[in-house]
Amino acid sequence: MKIECTIDNKHILLNVNSNKPLNLILLEDLEINQIYSRCRDGNCGNCVVLLNDEAVLSCLIPAFRLKGVRILTFEGYQKSRFWHDLERAYSDTGSHPCPHCYASKTLIFESLLQMIIKSELGPSQDEEPDEEVIVQEIGLNTCACLDAHEIIAIFNSAATYRRRRRVRRY
Amino acid sequence: MYEGIRSPAVHMPKTLNDLISASSRFPNATFWAGGTFIMSRNDYYPTRESKDIISLSGIPELKRINRTDKYLEMGSMVTFEQMLTVGKQVLPGLLQLTLENTATMIIRKQMTFGGAICTPGVRLALSGTLAALQAEVEVKTSLGPKTETQWIAINRLYDKRGVLELKKNDLVTRIRIGFERETFSSFILAGNPMINPNETVMLSFACSYNQSVINRFRMCLTFPTSLFLIPHELDLMMHGTMLPLTSQQIERVVQSIMEEIYTISPHEIPPIQTERAKRFVESSLHELNAQSLSER
Repeated sequence: MKIECTIDNKHILLNVNSNKPLNLILLEDLEINQIYSRCRDGNCGNCVVLLNDEAVLSCLIPAFRLKGVRILTFEGYQKSRFWHDLERAYSDTGSHPCPHCYASKTLIFESLLQMIIKSELGPSQDEEPDEEVIVQEIGLNTCACLDAHEIIAIFNSAATYRRRRRVRRY
Repeated sequence: MYEGIRSPAVHMPKTLNDLISASSRFPNATFWAGGTFIMSRNDYYPTRESKDIISLSGIPELKRINRTDKYLEMGSMVTFEQMLTVGKQVLPGLLQLTLENTATMIIRKQMTFGGAICTPGVRLALSGTLAALQAEVEVKTSLGPKTETQWIAINRLYDKRGVLELKKNDLVTRIRIGFERETFSSFILAGNPMINPNETVMLSFACSYNQSVINRFRMCLTFPTSLFLIPHELDLMMHGTMLPLTSQQIERVVQSIMEEIYTISPHEIPPIQTERAKRFVESSLHELNAQSLSER
């Protein structure tokens, strides 16, 4: 099946099996090595990517759902300006995810930060996430390298940087 | 690595009529809703038995939520997260509890009602909750050039072991729940139906009472792979009972449920599931007592 989509800001034409999961496409067809998924059934949470700015488990997205979508892997995300908000939050709080889940947890944080922006911009289906939601969502990745306090501290710090970025822009 | 693996054809109908004709033209195809269940199976990919796919994501009718005078109606492609945005005034408390306790928001944005109801081998929490809320599903059956549509009670979709009893050409297109709201609801889940189905137990309980007299008592106990129990006789037994329940009454309810469990699956159910089921029923009845006492 031929599929046109945008991966890490590059327009790509893929020729893959229609039911192939996105994590395998990224690993095998595009050789993006920062996906550490091991479980093959959506339980480890290590294969998170942003699909149209929302975090998804790439092992649960089949190739035929990729037509015309915009995918950002951690590799591509590191080249965006938003990455610096989280990078600085990690450094400010002195806590960061372990190398194994770094990419996935960072992208989940990013999708939560996007929710704040959407909710502040006006009526949206997304509400600003509360602390319980933040911890629960990060828990999608089963690695226990960050505790709840650290997760909240990182998020709050990154959210402050993100809000400042918005203020500067307007 | 994947030599000889066939790429399944994907059909993407845009209307319900297209869907019905696609389902009769490709009777062996897999209906694809959110895909979270199908793709989380260990043998999903690569496999030599790739069936063609009918994707339901392009049909707007299946993604609508409607509120009529009598019912809250949702299409089978409505996602869990979409449903949580309809508001507490409209969404039954028990359904809200169940949806919030299912996976995380990232997965809930992909999980659909139809997909969760029609998983073939595993019963998930949503089915039990919809049964406790006496929900109905619209089933469309393609009969050659004609299509038959009927609304049936959700518990009629499954047998007592939770096995899906839909025929190959049956399609669940809508789900509806009445606006009569329960006074008390409880949803208890232990385990994860996807990871350890043989240890998981889910209890959905909806009860209505007026001036401490029970007038509706619906409980559904689900063991993902072995039991889907709605003890109908309990509704009759508890109708007209005064709250708070005495310890003898609680014991009688528990005993009646345990007897039914042993009748349906005498040997197969692991002790951890029966123990959890017993404690969940007790706990929810004590909670009901506590709520009724706090209102006095």
